Amino acid sequence: MYILGISCFYHDSSVCLLKEGNVIAAALEERFTRKKHDTSFPINAIRFCLEKEDITIKDIDYIGFYEKPLLKAERILHQHLEAFPKSYKTFIFSFPSLINEKLRIPNLIKKKLKYKGDILFIEHHLAHAASAFLTSPFQRSAILTVDGVGEWTTTAYGLGDGNDIHLIKEIKFPHSLGLLYSTVTAYLGFTVNNSEYKVMGLSAYGNKNKRTNPYYRKFKKVVDIKKDGSYQLNMSYFVFYYSDRMPSLKMCKLLGGPVSKKGAEITQRHKDIAAALQMITEEVMIKMLNYVYKVTRCKNIVLAGGVALNSVCNGKILKNTPFKKIWIQPDAGDGGKSMGVDFYIYNTILD
Amino acid sequence: MKNLKLFLISFKKGFLSLNRFITKITNCILLSIVYFFGIGLTSIIAKIFKKHFLKLKKSKNTKTYWINLDLKKKSIEDYYRQF
Repeated sequence: MYILGISCFYHDSSVCLLKEGNVIAAALEERFTRKKHDTSFPINAIRFCLEKEDITIKDIDYIGFYEKPLLKAERILHQHLEAFPKSYKTFIFSFPSLINEKLRIPNLIKKKLKYKGDILFIEHHLAHAASAFLTSPFQRSAILTVDGVGEWTTTAYGLGDGNDIHLIKEIKFPHSLGLLYSTVTAYLGFTVNNSEYKVMGLSAYGNKNKRTNPYYRKFKKVVDIKKDGSYQLNMSYFVFYYSDRMPSLKMCKLLGGPVSKKGAEITQRHKDIAAALQMITEEVMIKMLNYVYKVTRCKNIVLAGGVALNSVCNGKILKNTPFKKIWIQPDAGDGGKSMGVDFYIYNTILD
Repeated sequence: MKNLKLFLISFKKGFLSLNRFITKITNCILLSIVYFFGIGLTSIIAKIFKKHFLKLKKSKNTKTYWINLDLKKKSIEDYYRQF
């Protein structure tokens, strides 16, 4: 049995081919098009995977897609309804791609691949969870997925046992740790969905003292963190839910200046902002993980989602939580979800 | 003959650019109508009835922001659906 997992149209389009539960080939579309974080339909990656096994699309039994397109469209529609008329520009630019691509996934797959078989749609965070848990060495494990946004979910935790995954609770859009990180990345003059790792690296050069870093206290106004690690953003500091920009003017005022221009000189202020953001991120993650342990009572933890790519934070998990073993999906972002989709279909749905 | 070929190539390029321009304008007009009459009216009516589509305001007196999800294995038919 062959299963082809596809992840595309947001960032890091990817494909994974599974044969009887074993990975035959997996590739990111960017490797073929030479466009970093390519979002397009991964036709080249699909060709590569099929050629690797010397099969055609007719041999594929199931194609899995990494999210539920209508739920995502519902969320986008809600954003426009809430933000009217401020979302006009975004609507004009993004609506054609929503209609032509994101809501026509089955037609697109059938047309581009001449595929006539079954297509299964797996929820975004379930695909993340599967990409971490079902590829891990654990039989039973707590699961935490944290990213920008899926359909509605931005953060979820649950439990994996054998081949089953149960996501218990979530935090919903627009409250998102990933989008907070991306907003500050944009504020510091870096590119969103690409340069978050630079901000993470930059944080090491900033003031890591919570008492003396003024931006840490300022970020406390932006994020309300509960004891159980759940959090809520103060949305007056953000415009990402209706604009292609991310920080609001209020955020610029809070951080003491306008959005940095791309390539502008990096000063100590930038470094301190990055350090404060990293401290907030770590605080949320550690609190969440301690709470997840309290709920699941499982000594293993698996992580996925873009925030799980924050290796500085990941390095502190075992020291600051009761978890004894940790597994992080190497491509924890959207690229790894094509593999999660495949594993979930093979191990869980068809089990 | 060569001049005619060059003219036809330039004409084709110009015509395609005009085509793209008209498509852009038409799209913009149609989408604006959808936005202001579809999204706009719904949004205004919803705001009159104090209906919110996103949770933008801070929750007061809450101990946690976790929301029940309870997402687990469903029957295969559920995965054929796009929602």
